[in-house]
Amino acid sequence: MSDKQISIPVAAGTGGSPYAGVFDRLIDFCRARSLFLLHYCTGCGAIELPPAMTSRYDMERLGIQPMATPRQADILLVTGYVATKTLKRIILTYEQMSAPRYVIGICSCTVNGGMYWQSYATVKKLNEYLPVDMYIAGCMPRPEAVITGLQQLMDRIEAGRADAWRDYYRRYDHYLGKQQALFGKHWQTPSDIIGEARQFDLLGPDTLGEHTTLLEQYQQPLEMPSTPVFGHGRDVPEDERS
Amino acid sequence: MDWQVLLLDIVLMPLLAFIVGLLMVLMMRRVRARLERRIGPPFFQPLYDIIKLYGKDIQISHGFIHDLGIIMVVGGYITVEMFLPVPGFVGLAEKGDLIALAYLMMVPMLGMALGVGQCANPNGSIGISRALTAMLGYDIPFVLVIVAVAAMYGTTSLPEIIAIQQQGGMATWGVATMPVMAVAGLITTHVMLAKEPFETYIAPAEIATGPMVEMGGKFMGGLFVVQTFQVYTAGVLYVTLFLGGGENWLVFLPKIFAVVFIPFAVTIVFPRYKAGEGLLWVWKWPTGIALLGLALILM
Repeated sequence: MSDKQISIPVAAGTGGSPYAGVFDRLIDFCRARSLFLLHYCTGCGAIELPPAMTSRYDMERLGIQPMATPRQADILLVTGYVATKTLKRIILTYEQMSAPRYVIGICSCTVNGGMYWQSYATVKKLNEYLPVDMYIAGCMPRPEAVITGLQQLMDRIEAGRADAWRDYYRRYDHYLGKQQALFGKHWQTPSDIIGEARQFDLLGPDTLGEHTTLLEQYQQPLEMPSTPVFGHGRDVPEDERS
Repeated sequence: MDWQVLLLDIVLMPLLAFIVGLLMVLMMRRVRARLERRIGPPFFQPLYDIIKLYGKDIQISHGFIHDLGIIMVVGGYITVEMFLPVPGFVGLAEKGDLIALAYLMMVPMLGMALGVGQCANPNGSIGISRALTAMLGYDIPFVLVIVAVAAMYGTTSLPEIIAIQQQGGMATWGVATMPVMAVAGLITTHVMLAKEPFETYIAPAEIATGPMVEMGGKFMGGLFVVQTFQVYTAGVLYVTLFLGGGENWLVFLPKIFAVVFIPFAVTIVFPRYKAGEGLLWVWKWPTGIALLGLALILM
C-alpha cells in the first residue's frame, strides 16, 4: 500500500435496487427511537433532567432512558460548565462509548463558557475538544427545551445525518491537538482511537498528523498499574509541572 | 417425521419465548411507568432497543472469553427454552426433566461470570460475586420447590406434571394442592428476576449495573435478549408447576403474564437490600416457607 491514499467519493445511494438501503434505514429508524443517556452532570443544568425524566415530562415515552456506564450509552449529555480537569474525564468517557455516539452540550457554559467566561480553569467551547452533535443553549434550558433538542437530534439520526462521531476519527489530529494544548504533550487516553479508525475503516485525511506523532512519542503502555494515565502517580517531568 | 417435528419445535420455541418475552419486558416497563405516573415506553420499545444495540458500528471486545461468555449466556437461555414445554410444543422436554432444567438455568449466570471476568472492571467483578451470592440464596428454596413438586406429582417430567394437573382440573393444580409451596415459589421467582429489593447485583447507582458494566453494543443486545428469556422462563415455569400449564395459548398467556405481573408491580415500593441482608432474608423466609410446605406435603 502506498503512502498516498486516493480518496474515491462513494455516494450513499441505493445502487439501483429499491431494497438496497432497507436494513440501514431500519437501523437508523431504531437508533432514533432508542437513546440511552449518560449524564455527565457536574454543572447546574443537571437539575433540569430529573423533571425531564420523571412523571412531569417522562422521556421514556420517546424511548430515552438513562444508563449507568459509557459502554451502554448512546448520548453523552454534558450539562453545564466544563473545567479542564472535568474535560479529561469527559474525553475518557466519550472514547469508551460504542459508536454511533452523540454528544449534547446543555447550557450556555458548554457553548461559550457562559458565566465562567473569565475563569482560567474552564473550557469555553466544548466542540473544540469533542465532536458535539447538538447544543441546547439556555441558563439553564427548561425540560421542554431539553426534550425539543433531543427530538431534533432524533430527527437527524433517523435521516442518517447525526454522524459527528465519524468526525472524531477523521479529524482526530485536530481534536488531539486541542487536547494537547490544554493538557500538555503527555496527554493520552486508554482508548486507541487511531487503531479503531484503522480497524473500522474510518481513517480520514486528518486522522494522523503532527499531534498524533507527538502522542506516539510520549505514549506509555496501558497495562502498567504503577503508571496511571493521570492522577497522583503520574510521572510528570519538571518542565511540565505547574 | 418425528425428528422434523422436533427440529421445528426447537427452532420455534426460543423464537416464541423471545416474542412473548418482549411483550413481558414491555409490560414490566409500562407497569413501572404507570406506577410512577408516567406514560411509559411505546409498544415496540424493547425491540427498538435490541435492534439498535445490535446495529452498533463500533464497539470494543475485551477478548475471546468476553465473546464466549455472552454466547454462553444467550445460548444457555435458548437451550432452557427448548426444555420448557408450552402449549403445542414439547421440544426436548421429554428428554430432560425439571432437574435438567434447573441445571441449565445456571449456565447463563456462569457464562456471565466467565465473560465479565475478562473485562477486568472491578464493578463487574463485584456484580458477579453478588450475582453468584444471590444464586446461592434463591437456589435453596428453588431446589425445595423442585423436591416438593417431585414428591407431590411423583415425577419430575414437565409434560407429565402438566398432564396430571390438566386431567384433574383446577383442584389438582399445584396452587391448590400445595399452597404454601406456591407462595415460596412466587417469592423465589421474584428473587430470581432480580427485582428490588433483591437487585443487589444490578444496582445502577452503586456498582453501575454490575456485570453489565463493560457490556456495550452487541453484548448489551445479547443481555437484552436474555432479559426477555429470563422473565418468560420464570413465568412459564411457575405456571407449569403451580397453575396447571395451559391447554392452549389463550389460556396460557394470561396465566404467565399474571404471574410475572406480581413481581413487576410490587418491586417498585422497595429499596434495595445489601447483598448479605438479601441472602439472609432469602434463607430465612422463602426457605422457611418452603420447608413448611414440604413438611405439609410429606406428612
